[in-house]
Amino acid sequence: MTFRLRTIDFTADGRKIVREKDIAKPLLSIGRSAENDIHLPDLAVEPSHATIAEQGAGRVQVEATGSLGFGLDGQTSRSASVDCRTGAELRFGGTRISLGLEDDGAVLLTVELVREDESKDTAEKDGLSLSSVMPGKRTISWILAAIVLAVFLALPIISNLTRSPDLKQSQIIGDKAWTPGPLSAAHHQLETKCEACHVKPFQSVRDETCMNCHKAVHDHAPSGRLALARAEPGLGGKVLWGVAHAFGKPGPGACVDCHNEHQGMNRMELPKQQFCADCHGSLKDRLKDTGLGNASDFGRIHPQFSPAVMTDPVAKTFQRVSLDANPRENSGLEFEHKVHLDPRGGVAKMAMTLSGDKGYGANGLVCADCHRPSEDGVRFKPITMERDCEACHSLVYDKVGDTFRKLKHGDVAQMVADLSVVGANTQPIVTGRSRPGDYAAEHVYYANFSPPGGTGSFVQRALAKDGVCGECHKPVWKNGKPGVVPVTIPARYMAHGWFDHASHKQTKCADCHAAAGSTSASDVLLPKLAQCQSCHLGEDAPKGKVPSSCAMCHAYHPTGSAPLLTRRNKR
Amino acid sequence: MASTAKTNPGSGGVRRQVSSDHEGFLRYRNFRWLKLAAMLSLIAILSYALIDVTPHPGGGTWLGYTLGAIGAGLIVWLSLLGVRKRAMSAGTWSLKAWTSAHVYLGLSLIVIGTLHCAFQFGWNVHTLAYVLMMIVIVSGIWGISVYASLPAALSSNRDEMTQEQMIEGIAAIDRQLNDAAQPLARDQADLVIAALEQDTFAAGLWSRLTGNYRGCATEQAIQRIALADAQGSGDSAISRVEKLLIRRKAQLDRLRRQMRLRALLEVWLYLHIPATIALLAALTAHVISVFYYW
Repeated sequence: MTFRLRTIDFTADGRKIVREKDIAKPLLSIGRSAENDIHLPDLAVEPSHATIAEQGAGRVQVEATGSLGFGLDGQTSRSASVDCRTGAELRFGGTRISLGLEDDGAVLLTVELVREDESKDTAEKDGLSLSSVMPGKRTISWILAAIVLAVFLALPIISNLTRSPDLKQSQIIGDKAWTPGPLSAAHHQLETKCEACHVKPFQSVRDETCMNCHKAVHDHAPSGRLALARAEPGLGGKVLWGVAHAFGKPGPGACVDCHNEHQGMNRMELPKQQFCADCHGSLKDRLKDTGLGNASDFGRIHPQFSPAVMTDPVAKTFQRVSLDANPRENSGLEFEHKVHLDPRGGVAKMAMTLSGDKGYGANGLVCADCHRPSEDGVRFKPITMERDCEACHSLVYDKVGDTFRKLKHGDVAQMVADLSVVGANTQPIVTGRSRPGDYAAEHVYYANFSPPGGTGSFVQRALAKDGVCGECHKPVWKNGKPGVVPVTIPARYMAHGWFDHASHKQTKCADCHAAAGSTSASDVLLPKLAQCQSCHLGEDAPKGKVPSSCAMCHAYHPTGSAPLLTRRNKR
Repeated sequence: MASTAKTNPGSGGVRRQVSSDHEGFLRYRNFRWLKLAAMLSLIAILSYALIDVTPHPGGGTWLGYTLGAIGAGLIVWLSLLGVRKRAMSAGTWSLKAWTSAHVYLGLSLIVIGTLHCAFQFGWNVHTLAYVLMMIVIVSGIWGISVYASLPAALSSNRDEMTQEQMIEGIAAIDRQLNDAAQPLARDQADLVIAALEQDTFAAGLWSRLTGNYRGCATEQAIQRIALADAQGSGDSAISRVEKLLIRRKAQLDRLRRQMRLRALLEVWLYLHIPATIALLAALTAHVISVFYYW
């Protein structure tokens, strides 16, 4: 077996020179020394670097003899057995030796210098890195940043700055991406009109903008007094407001301070009791002239109720008097609840008799016989003579055949006219006012509406004390003509507080209104604070009591209608 | 590599003590930044839970603005690691300390950012900034986990070879293939040419990440030439080419595993960095838009 050495050189102009030499030895030595079979004049090669020994069957054994290894198919090795039929590539310093097998069985060693430019090709190790196939991080970053800034910043701003000043025609592209959350249900139609509220760039939403639409909203109080009433904020509050004002926020007390938008498509959250207590808890300290008592919690600090009671029915003047001061009311009416509600009195008897016709109960009159709930159940319909009194307090004064003639309630002039023509053929009201059945003269329930032993004309007698008019009304002379003091029965005593009778229908009337013992129309039959407090306590009421924050009875913006909490509870 | 300089008055000179105990950026100074970031998160959580802001929590309350300002400051500072890492220094403000703080403060942003927005999300630029922030954070976590696990796999796959050697090995086989294929018929020679000409590094992101190379010309050449070999041509040249191709394929597989590991190791940065810059843009848009529609 022989080794065939094929040396390939290149001339300066790149021409290839191939030399062949057969070496009939079983072992070849490779190294820098001249005595080696393959002499490689290369400082990277050791004087005696390796040996190649034939093993038979086309195989050779390559062994490193020095301290350095050799390259075998690109990998460093010190010892290797190579099948020359498949071949291999050895590398010693700058020289490459390819192993192969010739047809005649000789092992072919092709010796070739590695060219400079070739070794550069292998420097493509960066191809292993992802950066060789990916666009640069910097490029991706700039593109993404540019897209974000263009779509989410530049586009809406340019569109906003160039919009039509007319709100109906203005259209801003891209600012939907700015909304931090859906508007409240009430403002839902403004969802696509950011500029309706955000009028000027970098200026927070102003009260004037709100009031463009909400024209009828009443201030809680004049702004000067509100500012006086507001408690001085603590250090933290001062810092917060300092920062808020530095950024141009209005307030405190601006619409947006409470009416926070973009909180989802629902309704405004109810203010906490503390919101009111911030001012009202110590109002008297700051607003010396206020008529309002301090209030911070219904269960603990709340002034006694001060209903507006009528003091002069002719001039119709009201005065707010604390229930603690035992107010007396002058509604212009003469009326006694006790008589009417006494289950053993004459009124009860009469009601029992009339129960079939009028629907009165078998035990006499009850509150509901006269006080009929309003449609919403909150309060009561006004008392009317015809519906609520006349069943007993009849105004019939004459009978012609089977027909009764009666006075027209509320019209004194008509009464005067009617009674002036009472003649001989008329059954005079003073002697024989007729009612069917037992109500007629001489019968059990015959009532004589004139004062006993009364004198004067029919008109005078009717208006006199205990006369048909005078038993309920006070006579007065007006412009030289007879008349009565007008009656004003208030439907509501507390205009700034809300009470809903419908919510309290489980409770008996008498639990709150001491009507059964009232002997005078001037009694103000309202329950005191303590009565309400037996069920209602403040926001943090313990179990078993009704937690009642301010918003249950009071509204911040006075509208006269039910406050927010009550309205929400009803729905 | 914590190094300390000590002055020794007795010897009248400065003696430098270098301790070679390695302390990674994760456990830097006994997890100093982990503790600080955890405390920051805890304060944020407690503030959110205990402070009753009116009317309800959100980015627009004073607490929301405070958390937002802290979060925005952190984001800007965290993104400056890219600048800082190009200037190495030692000591308290060493790059290692900076990286440690980067990791842990970055994680605390999950808490601060989420509490800033008070769990309110929507299809808007604000949530875009949040999502980008979360992409940056999650890709960062991923980056740390691959840095912890993959280098070992990368090293064992290299099997004491350098990457140059891997490439050179294939080149060596390619040269032999070129010689060995000389006696082959046209169609078989074409298969070899196709295998040799296919650029190993042309594989895209997907192939690199999955290691799935369906159009591998070497694999195809092996199959066809093995078929020809099995049909009993008995040509020694064909069987030599087949052996060389199989060797090439083995080398190629190792190189591709290397590429796959490198890709897994590097790809998070392709998410982390561009998402960070996009986040800075979205953050700018978020802040400006809030004040624009103030």
